[in-house]
Amino acid sequence: MADPSPYLLNSVLKAVRVGVIVLDAGQRIVLWNRWIEQHACLPATDVLGKTFADVFPGMVDGRTHVAIRSALLNNFASLISQTLNKAPFPLYANPADAADDARMQQAVHVMPLDVPDLPRHCLVQIGDVSMSVSRERKLREMAVELESQTLVDGLTGIANRRRFDLHLEGEFRRARRNVSPLSLLMIDVDDFKAYNDSYGHQRGDACLARIAAALDAVPHRPRDLVARYGGEEFAVVLPDTDVEGALQVAEAMRTAIAALLLEHAHAGNARHVTASFGVSTLTPGQESTTGALIHGADRALYQAKRAGRNCVMVHAHEGSSA
Amino acid sequence: MFKLSALQHDALVEIFNLGVGQAAAAMSRIVKEEVTMSVPLIAFQSRAQVAQTLGSGEGRRISAVAQQFVGAFNTEAFLMFPEEKSLEIVRLMVGQSLTMEELGEMEQEAMSEIGNIILNSCMGAFANASGRELQGSLPIYHAGTGDDILGLSGKEWDGVVLALKIDFNIEKRHIHGHVAFLLDMTALQDLQQYVDDYLAGLTK
Amino acid sequence: MITILVVDDSRVSRLLSKQFIAQKHPDWTVAEAASGEEALEKLTHLSPALILLDLNMPGMGGFAAAEKIRPLRPAARIVLLTANVQDATRERAAALGIGFAEKPITETRIDQVIAFLESR
Repeated sequence: MADPSPYLLNSVLKAVRVGVIVLDAGQRIVLWNRWIEQHACLPATDVLGKTFADVFPGMVDGRTHVAIRSALLNNFASLISQTLNKAPFPLYANPADAADDARMQQAVHVMPLDVPDLPRHCLVQIGDVSMSVSRERKLREMAVELESQTLVDGLTGIANRRRFDLHLEGEFRRARRNVSPLSLLMIDVDDFKAYNDSYGHQRGDACLARIAAALDAVPHRPRDLVARYGGEEFAVVLPDTDVEGALQVAEAMRTAIAALLLEHAHAGNARHVTASFGVSTLTPGQESTTGALIHGADRALYQAKRAGRNCVMVHAHEGSSA
Repeated sequence: MFKLSALQHDALVEIFNLGVGQAAAAMSRIVKEEVTMSVPLIAFQSRAQVAQTLGSGEGRRISAVAQQFVGAFNTEAFLMFPEEKSLEIVRLMVGQSLTMEELGEMEQEAMSEIGNIILNSCMGAFANASGRELQGSLPIYHAGTGDDILGLSGKEWDGVVLALKIDFNIEKRHIHGHVAFLLDMTALQDLQQYVDDYLAGLTK
Repeated sequence: MITILVVDDSRVSRLLSKQFIAQKHPDWTVAEAASGEEALEKLTHLSPALILLDLNMPGMGGFAAAEKIRPLRPAARIVLLTANVQDATRERAAALGIGFAEKPITETRIDQVIAFLESR
């Protein structure tokens, strides 16, 4: 089967919607197809025979230039990632963009090219990925938008921070109206950073999901809420619950986590994953704020950490209503 | 285990330091920050020993980029960093505050390029020094323990690993990584031969 | 009597530099040091016209060595050798008033360094 005719190949090069540049052993441009002419705004007659450095002075010694030299000198192929190199060449989607110096996003491939009877050449292939990139950005914006409306934590399936904040506000007002005690538990997984460092983020995520499930499985009333408060922090809202009641729930949760027996070889003294608990209870008066309740639970949590972790501490608020 | 003469060892260390130095220069132009890299140590080890150094025993996860080189000699080369360090490197190279999700998507592609730059530089320095021709494949990303990556759960293999410790510094952060070249007996002999040729050429 | 001091932890590197210099100027003396510390020691009894410093050395690196050497031998030309040439390197070398040359060490590059020395 004979090779395709040069005329056919030429027509193909003119028609393809990718940039094709070929450089010879001396880094001189020997092929410059139609697509590149249009998008670099440089006719072939202006560049053929010139070196890469002559035509792209701003790219000298940059990543693409290094890749070209690597292909010519060492016969190596290079990956020019989108992530680290969004628009290496000065290429534009249209003349208006050229005027604004708004480059198109490019996918660049550099590879050695064997040409019969000649020293090694280098092939550079460039695609326009602007559409994909802008689509990606839109999708990401939509995801963020959606996420800002959701009340569920993606990883664990329990309530997220947003829901927690709303619920706490609501229960706080109700407790103030009814003059009833409102309790809050703040929970922090012990030595979680060390867990992630040793076992990796995937296992870290799986660990959090199991902890969340264990917390949620501890029996609770309809208006109680278990939520993911932050990275490795959880919070539990317990309306109509006094200190003793809150302590019972906290202790049940602490045991539930320890009972998971999640191996943790790098956690100080413990051999399994545990969590520390801070408990705070308020019967809110006219001047009280949720901030005081949260602050109290945080202080107690801090005490629990200091006491050696895997325990429950209670914050003593001055007076029962402030 | 296999050992080189002091001079052969010196030559190899110097060659690889040249390679990673050039890679650092290329990376500094991408990230527009100061980047330095050096190879403080090289050693010939078994796959099991290398996997051990990488924390396989404790289940530590590694991010790796692999490339095949064929020609003057054949080897499979790996650039390896602990998983959380590779995330850190990508964050430093991309230079923005990114969410974990965004980083995760970008990590593979960016690490593949970084591996490509470093491995090509190392082999390029060797090829240039020894005057030998090689051909390199495109990088492939792997994640797993050192055992997974070096293919230990597989067939018998009677080769050695040329293991390089890498010190990588970017934006005042110090990160330790490894480069490993799998060499079967033929490749090992070839390597020694080329180093000797290089040294002979020096002392004309 | 021209003396050159080559400072590099790699013996192979020192060999290369020494050779290229000897090819061009067999009458010059080339002394060697394997570290910044050893270089400082040698400078107590040597007065080289040119000091070649490897940038990437364990312990006292090239820049640190250059900073210590400068006050000891203000008349000597100092040239840093590195494979990692980037803006930060250029700037720091310029600030110290020293030159730099790119590795790998080739005959051409050594010729250029010698030319730099001879352009007094």
